[in-house]
Amino acid sequence: MMRRAAVGLVGVLLLASCGGGTATPSGNPATATVAAPKPDIKIGLATAKSGAANFYNPQQSNGAALAVDQINTAGGIAGAKLQLIVEDDGSVRDQGITAFRKFIEQDKVVAILGPTLSAVAAGAHPVAQAGGVPVIAISNTGLGIVGKCDYGPCDWIFRASLGEQSAVPETVKAATQKLGLKKVVIIYGDGKFELDDLTIFKEAFKANNVTVSKEIAYTAKDVDFAPFVTQAKGENPDAVVASSLAGPAGKILDEMAKQMPGKRVIGGNGLNSAALLPNANAGLIVVGTAWSKASTDKTNTDFVAAYKTKFGVDPDQFAAQSYTAMIVLADALKRSGNATDRAAVKKALEGVSSLATPLGPFSFTTDHDVKQPTFVMTVKDGQFTPFQ
Amino acid sequence: MAEQLYNAVFIGSIYALFALGFALVFSVLDILNLAHPTVFMLGAFVALFAIGTLGLPWFVALAIAVLVTGLFGIVLDRVAFAPLRRRGAPALSSMISSLAVSLIVVRLVELRYGGDFITFPAGAVPAFVLRVGDATLEGIRLAIVVLSVALMVGLTYVLRRTQLGRDLRALAENPRAARLLGVDVDRAIAATFFVSSALGGLAGVLLAFAYNTLDSRMGVPLELRAFTVMVVGGMGSLPGAVIGAYILGFGEVASLVYLPTELRDAFAFGLLFLVLVVRPTGLLGQKSPDRV
Repeated sequence: MMRRAAVGLVGVLLLASCGGGTATPSGNPATATVAAPKPDIKIGLATAKSGAANFYNPQQSNGAALAVDQINTAGGIAGAKLQLIVEDDGSVRDQGITAFRKFIEQDKVVAILGPTLSAVAAGAHPVAQAGGVPVIAISNTGLGIVGKCDYGPCDWIFRASLGEQSAVPETVKAATQKLGLKKVVIIYGDGKFELDDLTIFKEAFKANNVTVSKEIAYTAKDVDFAPFVTQAKGENPDAVVASSLAGPAGKILDEMAKQMPGKRVIGGNGLNSAALLPNANAGLIVVGTAWSKASTDKTNTDFVAAYKTKFGVDPDQFAAQSYTAMIVLADALKRSGNATDRAAVKKALEGVSSLATPLGPFSFTTDHDVKQPTFVMTVKDGQFTPFQ
Repeated sequence: MAEQLYNAVFIGSIYALFALGFALVFSVLDILNLAHPTVFMLGAFVALFAIGTLGLPWFVALAIAVLVTGLFGIVLDRVAFAPLRRRGAPALSSMISSLAVSLIVVRLVELRYGGDFITFPAGAVPAFVLRVGDATLEGIRLAIVVLSVALMVGLTYVLRRTQLGRDLRALAENPRAARLLGVDVDRAIAATFFVSSALGGLAGVLLAFAYNTLDSRMGVPLELRAFTVMVVGGMGSLPGAVIGAYILGFGEVASLVYLPTELRDAFAFGLLFLVLVVRPTGLLGQKSPDRV
């Protein structure tokens, strides 16, 4: 007995002198084996670090990184750590495809988040679909991302970004009720996102018995927006819809303030940009968003506080969505039974239901689209605030 | 209608200011400076730096931006064009070289300010609105129109009536002969780039003031238009570029008012195509000796 105790004591001292290992509270220390750490679970994030959409970074990267840190700190997925691999999609289709191929063929990731733009997703998502890798789209709000996709079956693709098909009807309904809309004019751009939004807005106004008296097109190479607003003014509308990205929307806002003071500008996700907040006329905006910083839901307030502590700035919607996507993925990984089996993870993603996230209770529809609340917002004191 | 006419004059003035600098370099040196849209953008960002970081008033920022972009033009020539000119490189090499400088400068600006559009600090940009009946005339736009016309007249005077203008015209005709006749060719080329870039920078600052917004790619939409108005006006003809700019501006607005929006670009550029069919050398196209 003494002999065994002495051997045990020597064993403990040896382990302590090596500075490694932790004595287990039970069992024989001399014969205890330290279990090999489980290999990391690799997740790919394709995001626009450069190119036209680079202003969505670093928020998208930060949001996902924060979630990974929190999940790993809490013990990971059944003892395995998450490893986030971030690649630049360059805001262009080909680079997005290259990033997805690297994730699948070289990094052997279990799932992918991204890319940033819908147009890039149209090229990159088919790569994941063909490779049988689950994807969560974190900022693709256009048509054909999930459900019926142009490139054929897209059952490996999920979307955590509120699509315009969901957000716009809610926005139009709220604006019609609160502003008493009867007649509007739509100013729209010639990109895929803007044209999709035009279609969705027209259907939403029709459903709310609001007349769209004129549709005015601009192109990406237009410099001056005064003529478009002057044309809209001729219709004497109750409000103007800007189916555009944030850059042109800022110019439309300024022209509206000059030519039609007090008239509201209703927009889609393109107007949901922090870059518009400093605009002196941003108070004219009415926009449906996927996230509200002002939401008092505890999951959201915890997220906002943690993000600000880690990065020193407030999160925006893109950070909230990438954070949420990672939380959703982690939930699926835990329930999958085998976090390295892509098919099992896909099946578990399909079962995500009413998960508490900063975006509100989160589920996937049968088309793999997000089901979550829509926040109809305006801008006050340089912040997005609920539209009253 | 009066408002749309005013909009057309404004757009034409911006196109003209931009295209003048573009056409000046082409008319004197026979090269297309593809960095001109970048100079346009640089002017706006220098003004932003002067106002936002140095806290200077807008008119001082405007002067600094014009000076800095003018000097940048001289540096651009020394870096991107002069070495190729000395070796007798083809025009295509110069275009690629200027494009390379352009990409580098855009990236540097994005490293400092990011790729998103940004605005001047609140209250930093001059803003007042005149209401004439139902019409709204914004002061800064009115100033741009007046300044554009004044600069076009001034540039024409310099080219026609001053020694520098005579030097530039001699250079445009034949650089070797100009040098033999005692023209300081290097000084004339530097002056060309200074004036061209200062005009481009000025246009950038004014447009950024007018919209209170700027981004690293703000010059790109103007590039195609500048090509178009140069071709229509007559390659290298400065008055032609100005006339072409106003035709394009009026064409774009008229098509917006009178045609379905889908046909707007087709109408504006169809009009320009028609001009070329009738006059293949452009409206004021002439042989090189008389271009400047």
